[in-house]
Amino acid sequence: MANILITDPTLRDGNHAISHKLTTAQIAAYCEAADKARIPIVEVGHGNGLGASSLQVGIASTTDDDMLRTAKEHLLNAKLSVHVIPGFATINKDLKRAVDLGVDVFRIGCHCSEADTTQQHISFVRNTGREVWGILMMSHMITPEGLRDEALKMESYGAEAIVIMDSSGHFLPEDVTQRIGELVSRLTVPVGFHGHNNLGMAVANSVAAANAGATIIDATARGFGAGAGNTQIEVLVPVLERLGYETGIDLYGVLDAADLAEREIMPVVPSIKGISIVSGMAGVFSGFAKHVDRVSAEYGLDPRDVFFALGKRQVVAGQEDVIIEVALELAAAKKERK
Amino acid sequence: MSSTRAELVREDTVQAMVQHTGDLAPIRNAHILITGGTGFVGTWLTEAITYLNDVHKFGARITLLARNTARLRETAPHLARRKDVALVDSDVRNIRGFDNDVSWIVHAGSTPDNRVYTTDGIKAADTIISGTRAVLDAAIRLPELNGLLHLSSGYVYGPQPAADPQATETSFNGFDSSAVTSVYAESKRIAETLCATYANQHRIRIVHARPYAFIGPYQLLDRPWAINNFIRDGLRGGPIRILGDGATVRSYMYAADMSAWLLTMLVRGQSGMSYNIGSPEGVKLADVAQMVADQMSPTPRVSLPIAGNRTTASTFVPSTARAEEKLGLTPVFDVVSAIRRTVQWHKL
Repeated sequence: MANILITDPTLRDGNHAISHKLTTAQIAAYCEAADKARIPIVEVGHGNGLGASSLQVGIASTTDDDMLRTAKEHLLNAKLSVHVIPGFATINKDLKRAVDLGVDVFRIGCHCSEADTTQQHISFVRNTGREVWGILMMSHMITPEGLRDEALKMESYGAEAIVIMDSSGHFLPEDVTQRIGELVSRLTVPVGFHGHNNLGMAVANSVAAANAGATIIDATARGFGAGAGNTQIEVLVPVLERLGYETGIDLYGVLDAADLAEREIMPVVPSIKGISIVSGMAGVFSGFAKHVDRVSAEYGLDPRDVFFALGKRQVVAGQEDVIIEVALELAAAKKERK
Repeated sequence: MSSTRAELVREDTVQAMVQHTGDLAPIRNAHILITGGTGFVGTWLTEAITYLNDVHKFGARITLLARNTARLRETAPHLARRKDVALVDSDVRNIRGFDNDVSWIVHAGSTPDNRVYTTDGIKAADTIISGTRAVLDAAIRLPELNGLLHLSSGYVYGPQPAADPQATETSFNGFDSSAVTSVYAESKRIAETLCATYANQHRIRIVHARPYAFIGPYQLLDRPWAINNFIRDGLRGGPIRILGDGATVRSYMYAADMSAWLLTMLVRGQSGMSYNIGSPEGVKLADVAQMVADQMSPTPRVSLPIAGNRTTASTFVPSTARAEEKLGLTPVFDVVSAIRRTVQWHKL
């Protein structure tokens, strides 16, 4: 069986779950535990990635500089990665700084149909000598063939791996098999998968990805991540081991890291609440959940209605401002009905 | 030992051109127009022709047509300021005519950079197809046209079978014409057919060159091709990263050989005939990476990406038997010399 490279974005996707309030002490503690568990790559940052701290998607309580510096200091063997969405992150302000701070892997992401927005960022990172991957988010919003073409663009820009994200936890295993299979058959670089657990399928979907030829899987401690959370790393590792895949991760180490994460980082362990199920059904980015809850309460709306309305609008990550627009429309319609 | 970049290029041009000077007599006192004139190919052709002018008193005039000729003032100022070199700013698609005394044309006006054609395939296809048509429409009105060399691509053959170490000029395997990545190859095939049709209907002499991979001075290191990236990584001190499988086989012709071959094909190639141009010497990318590393001091490490790699080895190597048999062309520089000279140029 093939080796699977596990990337752990607990300290990035998990930041969504706590409104980007990770502290340097929490980052230091988890990095030490992850390093000890021999997790090969740890991703750190604001939930929306480098340079994303803003009123629109949430102000982080720790700066990018402090997060990356802290992580780098406490990762002795694991590589440090960052999530990068062009627009939030700029080359001069953010990427150059991250290079200086020693980030090893830059994961340049975009909405699944907009790979051309990543060309400059991918090319820049390649020219610095650091490793760069392409990330296609909300990958359920395009056909497998469309996803393949966007992935081919990223590969042509110099991406050294392509990861597709099931950002709203919408996929079932056969969806993953089809998409990963299409990418594996056409790309020359490694292919990866990042799952969310809205419909309780994150581990199953990750296994489907591995079986279809993906060699990179994202997973987080206790599934700590946006919405219903991600693929649970301490579950995925033994499952992959039982299936005969090698991850190189120490089982007791990853179990300890997950315990530590629950104790030190998570106010609440992710669970599949109704709102997350609706988010998965509607195909809306899991990271919207907190915003939808807040806005729905403010306007006296059922957040499930807001999610389905957002699904009809086909909103994507970064369009958090549309939540208020949709809420206003629903509130107006509700008032009219009364 | 050359002390400037221009000197190094001239030394290598002399070495590659010396055996072809006699064959190129037809371009004496001629006006040669090159589309894509300030790119890698155009710049090297200009180096070769100006060498013939300077050393062998050819008296040829060169017009370089490109979208941004100011680029040449930065990349090769010694060429841009010459009296026998004229610069014309124009998109190849907008050509309406050439000077009446143009008697030779090299149509090299498109980029093989796959970032360009995957991002804006419509524009890339239009540049190749409409651009070729615009050049042909202008060419058929020239009263003294002797010949046109059309730069096509080795990609027109489709993927090279693993069992086929070298592609001949008849090795067509087909490709998925509905794939977004087929834009460049498909457009080049259409351009070849356009050339054939114009040659037939208007009785003009057109020769096709099908380029493979080249390396040399003037080629930008940020281009998404393995050897460019190896040299870039090496010049930075390494590590040199191999993407994909190190077993992938490519071949690299040095730029000075390329310009000598292209001029020979322009002048001596048979009308309607296609000639592969590139090195027939296939090399695994893992070996290319090591060859590049060997040119650096201290020797950088050759590594794989953290993401790992996949076994997707492919081959892209031409047979150049036709060019050798029909035109007497053989490369002067091997791949190691090509890498050594390119690295030296970048260090100057």
